[in-house]
Amino acid sequence: MPQNTLAKPALLMLILVITAIGSWEIYLRNKGVAISYDDGPPLWSHNRAMVYEPADKATVFIGSSRIKFDLDIDTWQKITGKHAIQIAQVGTSPMPVLEDLGNDPKFKGRLVVDVTEGLFFSNGSEMQRYITYYHKETPTQKASFQLNHFLESKFVFLDKDFLSLNAQLDELKIPDRPGVFQEPDFPMEFESTNFDRQDKMSPKFLADTNLQKRVQNVWLYIIGLGQHAPQPPVDPVPGIMQTAKNAIDKIRSRGGDVVFVRTPSSGRFRDIEQHAFPRAEFWDKLLAVTHCRGIYYADYPATEHFVCPEWSHLSPHDAVLYTQALTGILPAPFARQ
Amino acid sequence: MLFNSYTFIAFFIVVLILHNLPFSWKVKKINLLIASYIFYAAWNPPFILLLWLSTVVDYFVGRALYTQDNPHKKKLLLVISLIGNLGMLCFFKYGGFLLENFVTLTHMVGINFHPAKPNIILPAGISFYTFTTLCYTIDMYKKKSEPVKSFLNFALFVTFFPHLVAGPIVRPPQLVPQFEKPRKANKKQLFEGLFLLSLGLFMKVVLADSMLSSSADAVFGAGSALHALDAWMGVMAFSGQIFFDFAGYSTCAIGAALCLGFVLPQNFLYPYAAIGFTDFWRRWHITLSSWLRDYLYIPLGGNRKGKLRTYVNLMITMLLGGLWHGANWTFVVWGGLHGFYLWVEKFFRDRSARATGEIVVNQPIPMVVKASMVPSIPSNKGFQGFLYAMFTFMLVNVTWVFFRSNSFGRAGEMLNSMFGGVGKADPLLSTLAMIKIAVIITGMLIFHWFMRDRRVTELIYRLPWWLTGLVWSAIVILLILSQETSNSFIYFQF
Repeated sequence: MPQNTLAKPALLMLILVITAIGSWEIYLRNKGVAISYDDGPPLWSHNRAMVYEPADKATVFIGSSRIKFDLDIDTWQKITGKHAIQIAQVGTSPMPVLEDLGNDPKFKGRLVVDVTEGLFFSNGSEMQRYITYYHKETPTQKASFQLNHFLESKFVFLDKDFLSLNAQLDELKIPDRPGVFQEPDFPMEFESTNFDRQDKMSPKFLADTNLQKRVQNVWLYIIGLGQHAPQPPVDPVPGIMQTAKNAIDKIRSRGGDVVFVRTPSSGRFRDIEQHAFPRAEFWDKLLAVTHCRGIYYADYPATEHFVCPEWSHLSPHDAVLYTQALTGILPAPFARQ
Repeated sequence: MLFNSYTFIAFFIVVLILHNLPFSWKVKKINLLIASYIFYAAWNPPFILLLWLSTVVDYFVGRALYTQDNPHKKKLLLVISLIGNLGMLCFFKYGGFLLENFVTLTHMVGINFHPAKPNIILPAGISFYTFTTLCYTIDMYKKKSEPVKSFLNFALFVTFFPHLVAGPIVRPPQLVPQFEKPRKANKKQLFEGLFLLSLGLFMKVVLADSMLSSSADAVFGAGSALHALDAWMGVMAFSGQIFFDFAGYSTCAIGAALCLGFVLPQNFLYPYAAIGFTDFWRRWHITLSSWLRDYLYIPLGGNRKGKLRTYVNLMITMLLGGLWHGANWTFVVWGGLHGFYLWVEKFFRDRSARATGEIVVNQPIPMVVKASMVPSIPSNKGFQGFLYAMFTFMLVNVTWVFFRSNSFGRAGEMLNSMFGGVGKADPLLSTLAMIKIAVIITGMLIFHWFMRDRRVTELIYRLPWWLTGLVWSAIVILLILSQETSNSFIYFQF
């Protein structure tokens, strides 16, 4: 019999949607899945907007994924009394952010730059998307971010990287034709993101060496891709160092300051890094060109012994210890009020 | 503000509540007008000034045009309106393009001219609201309808948030009378509107953004020639993406308006089931094609000035229609290809009509069919019709190559890849991506063919209530699980 209104279908829809989404949420919570925030341009922009806090009240961190895992923000804030503003981004070079802050006349703060040589000395421009988003963010995007934050803080299923429809379809692992580029296949347990943008490995990841090996294989795959990539026509490293110097000079001219940090890496990843980016040619030269202080983990007894479970990032427990050590090593204005 | 954002959901709930409170009709209209300005300003507040300027100028010029008897003054007023509207559109949308072409020309004649690159931001929806206000002043000039008596009604007609940014392009007689008497959605309209809103969001968020956009972006963004399979899959993905994106927006707009008790015109009628290009343009972006017919093709002379002029007028209309979509010659070629297809179709139809002695004009035809610029061919829903529809779809895919490519070089590479001109190329798309495209595009074509002469708003009442409920549930669950929010609609850039 034809319907007059859609009231009954709407009621059925409401019941089924609440049941299905509710069941999915309960299932995930029982599986031990924790709240994780979408670490896209809106959350990055939210933190980027904080960099204007007074230098004696906040320190800004830029870089790649290592500083996001290795800096325990609660520990930092408890010891230093300063706000840690995390605007590093996984898999990216911090150079575009350093330039952006250098060109921002309002930024006069203290900046800790995490150096992962393979990313820092690359021509990667992925961060530009985040920077553009920040500068062009509309009022409606800001409002949506706040609403999204509220929902993400309540529901674990709202994890775009691992639990969205596309991420679930990717789990089908359908073989590709030979030669198709494979996206890095990180296990969900490897990483969750806090609202302050700190990344953490899950207890399950730390307990399961198979999962750790899976991530190690991802690093080897990524390194392999880099080795097979064609050489750029001009060596980009001198240009990158000069760009860094220019940006840092601008920040210093306004009363700000910059320090470089090399966080721990282990195993074959560290060996490959040391081979591909000899310290004297890259790290030491960077410090010399920019006239900045640098903190290399291997130079300090308090930080030299850390072992990364998957060769590149510290466990949450070691991140606390590393952060404690770092606050003692960094120049006082960076880690003291 | 985007329909696919949390902000819109919160905004729309507030608007719905306010519209259903016991305020006077005037207060409700003021609420809707303020809400529409908030909807627009949430994107880029300063550009609201352009909207105000356009509204004020066209309201007063429109009234003056209607009452003015002196033909010279009348023409002057029309010119003021055209300069105001088209001038704004030209500056913001075509300023950089015109300068670029001027520089190319100067270089061709040996002048070394290097002006600073203009940094002009395109106000969202300017092409849409310019066309909305233009049709009003032109109608007033021709005295085709009465001037809108109330400024509030006119401002709301221009600014009404569901259609403001990306259409459907409404005409004054379609919307203004709805503002004259109190309106509020009844239960049937409210639920139907919510269903359409869900369906539109599903099309945009799940199908266009979540399932198809990354493949289309990867293929069109690849810096080299591709394997034919990848090239075709990428073009198919874009065919689906652009339809679901834009038809999804229109469906949301129609649904949102219906929830408030207003009816907006249909903008899409299953275009990929079109049998021929005449039919395609009756089904794709209907409000634009009817606008171009009434305010460009017919004023140019339409088919009243002989066969040759008909062909020329048709091509001019399609070329300008292409340019309306974007400030790039690739859009003009896209329009030109459609014009060429329409030429070929018209040529064969005229020849066939002559052979059979058939008269194909002046038939009583419904509004939607009138949207076409050339007479219709009889639709054939049999196997022959299906084959012709698939042939039309394949040719439409070729036109999308120019629409999506950012340069002729890239378009050439894509066409070369599609038609086997590339010997060996690395495969690009994953198997999963190709399965998604194959399933969605096949499903879309079957659905379009099945729904060719039907309407979704009829179908949902004919199905058993539990089946409609199940379909609606699947739509909303997939929408929630896709977790894709706040990607701009493609047509915002036009």
